[in-house]
Amino acid sequence: MTVVKDPEGFEKKILHQFANFSGAKVLEVGCGEGRLTFKYAASAGQVIAFDTDHDALRIARADLPHALQGRVHFAEASARHIPFPAESFDVAVLAWSL
Amino acid sequence: MVHALSEIRRTLKPGGRLIDLRPVESNWQVEVSSSAGVQAAGWLTDVPAAVEDDEAAFRAMREVESRGWFSKKEEREFSFFYYWDTPSEMKQFMDEEWEDFEKLEEDVFENARSLWAVANADARVRVRVKMLITRWE
Repeated sequence: MTVVKDPEGFEKKILHQFANFSGAKVLEVGCGEGRLTFKYAASAGQVIAFDTDHDALRIARADLPHALQGRVHFAEASARHIPFPAESFDVAVLAWSL
Repeated sequence: MVHALSEIRRTLKPGGRLIDLRPVESNWQVEVSSSAGVQAAGWLTDVPAAVEDDEAAFRAMREVESRGWFSKKEEREFSFFYYWDTPSEMKQFMDEEWEDFEKLEEDVFENARSLWAVANADARVRVRVKMLITRWE
């Protein structure tokens, strides 16, 4: 079974219109397998993307492009207790997670 | 949800931005697309629990706005597509991945199959997913 999601790139285009990721430190909530993460991470300074789904995170880490290694970090965490200090991020992205 | 939004607010720098990107339940349209054009096959059926989730999300954002935690700066609806090579692949995907929020009724599936069967060889089936993106600061 093959599904192709948004081959026209509408989601990526709108996302970049709404947020300037250039050099930003980004927190992504509910990253899942990183589908959205990979659409903006190349522009960002640093990305911390987290989810509670261990299996999805394993896929996200496996699919992380070499060029983004060191810039993107996937973590297992819940939005109820985000394990980062106050005032750490420029942008937060709720990725299909509210 | 409100507690999670409080946590996000805590971790944002002063002047930081929150981007909320999510699908919204809206009886998404099923289409058959080919080089000859696009034909509508029908609409998916929203699952009530998913509609309630949408309403809860909107309530949570209204609450954090009323508390002065975030202020809505820009909002837009848009669509994008999920594509499958065949109606059967679409049905399998929906049964396995979307069972909690969208249902493909039998008559819509049959209509998609009929349209796809007589369409050009490059025909695919697709679902028009309605999305909402909001920037909060």
